[in-house]
Amino acid sequence: MSTFLASGPNLGRGGIGAWLAGLSARGKALVLAAEVVVMLVLWQLVVGVLGWINPVFFPPPSAIWQGFLELWSSGVLATNALVSLQAWLTGFAIAVAIGIPLGLLMGTSLPVDRVVGPIAWTIYATPTIAYQPLAKAWFGFGIGPVIFLVAISAVFPILLNVAAGMRTTNPSIIRAGTVFGASRFQLYRSVYLPSTVPFLFAGLRQAVVLATIGMVVAELTGSAQGMGAVIIRAANTYQTDQAFAAIALVVVWSVGMTQVVTLVERWVAPWTRKARR
Amino acid sequence: MTVTSATGTNRIVRPRRVVRSGEGKWAWLLVGVVAAVLLVWEAAVSWLQLVPAAFLPPPTEIIAAFVRLLGEPEFWQAFVYSMQNLLIGLALAIVVGVVVGLAVGWSPVLRFTVAPFLWLLYSTPKVALAPLFILILGLGNESKIALVFLLAVFPIILNTMEGAVTVSPSLVSAGRVFGVNGVYLGWKVIFPATLPYSLSGIQRGAALGFTGEVLGEFLGGTGGLGHLLEFAAYQFMMAEAIALVIVMVIIANLTLWLISTLRRRLAPWYDDRKIVGAS
Repeated sequence: MSTFLASGPNLGRGGIGAWLAGLSARGKALVLAAEVVVMLVLWQLVVGVLGWINPVFFPPPSAIWQGFLELWSSGVLATNALVSLQAWLTGFAIAVAIGIPLGLLMGTSLPVDRVVGPIAWTIYATPTIAYQPLAKAWFGFGIGPVIFLVAISAVFPILLNVAAGMRTTNPSIIRAGTVFGASRFQLYRSVYLPSTVPFLFAGLRQAVVLATIGMVVAELTGSAQGMGAVIIRAANTYQTDQAFAAIALVVVWSVGMTQVVTLVERWVAPWTRKARR
Repeated sequence: MTVTSATGTNRIVRPRRVVRSGEGKWAWLLVGVVAAVLLVWEAAVSWLQLVPAAFLPPPTEIIAAFVRLLGEPEFWQAFVYSMQNLLIGLALAIVVGVVVGLAVGWSPVLRFTVAPFLWLLYSTPKVALAPLFILILGLGNESKIALVFLLAVFPIILNTMEGAVTVSPSLVSAGRVFGVNGVYLGWKVIFPATLPYSLSGIQRGAALGFTGEVLGEFLGGTGGLGHLLEFAAYQFMMAEAIALVIVMVIIANLTLWLISTLRRRLAPWYDDRKIVGAS
């Protein structure tokens, strides 16, 4: 009981809270699954059966499923999802290709850090949507601005995290390495790399979320193709069921890619496991 | 220092610099590099004409456009319009976010039932809902305020929640021992301990809210900075467009600076690193 109380100020007052806290991981998942089902049923009831909310504005789950099937069978989904996927992956690859080397450079060389750092922070602090009209003017109406926005959204979290990881490597380990006669290369390989990798993956996870936002923003505001274009076209023709279906897919993509990054991290760098919840 | 913040995904804390005597040198280096880049840019565009000036106007032209912009009443109208929506949406998001965050963080029942949904909603790209907001609420202020609210509220809720969860139990026990209970306990112990977390959520929320405002104006707007920018880019007035982007960069950075100053002022006992490492 004492360890139970120690787990937080708010636990251990008995009742349903204590019961929930005492559940196993599986039990919690079951409770959550039950909640999701209840929510969906309620949603369906309120909108679909009772009609309290205009279903055009907030379609019930069954209608969203119908919308998904419509999108799928008409072939709209496959072509546009493919365009989005291509833009997202290209942009993300560009961001990784620029972010990691530049971050490493910033971590290694103090002058580079002091010059690139403030500039990168300034650009990163501004929501990337501000750059969208420029991208549209420079790269036209196709996939170009989408790639640009994905890349610029994703590059800074990667860059700044890698640099922070290099900078915050525990100095006593570096000293220990030097004392034991590690060469420069060995120092990078065995000291800097292991302590930077968790930062890199944290940055990649942030980058996935930001890149998806960037993609959606770019496609919403000036692209004839892609998931964002599907959403806006569906919304403008009052087919909100299709819009919600497309939004759900974007959400699945964002959450899924974050999971992929986490899986890759576990596989490549198992020593970072503790850091995540 | 770890970079995963309370809400994990979207924030990096700038490593606090150790002030050394050599810091001034780096500032000069930065200024020098920026000046050199601008000079090369100017040279490439207006003297050597490697890039057409209509495509990428030289810095002098952008500065001229910037100054011209600041003199136009139209610009200030748009500025007020955007800032007004942003502030209203953000204020709503702060009130709702802090209240809901404290409630969910404090009550274990809510934490186990509602919090997973909040995390899910937090990590979804809610910008995708923008067209629906425009559809439902129209082209006026309402849709923009609602978008700002929707985008800003989740980081505030989740950071506040994380803060409330990590309030040290010994503080609460000490409060109880001294007979502090109920609302008063919340006000005297929980709220101050949570404040720095809420503020970092608000910081994130402000940036996202800005995205919401500008996106709302892009999609269907009659006023505001986003509308001006869209129009300038559409007319291919690149100098004006870039000047407007610079205005936005300044606004965004000023807001961040303001909130982090506020955090340092209101909660000087908290270190960035401590907050960040806490979860």
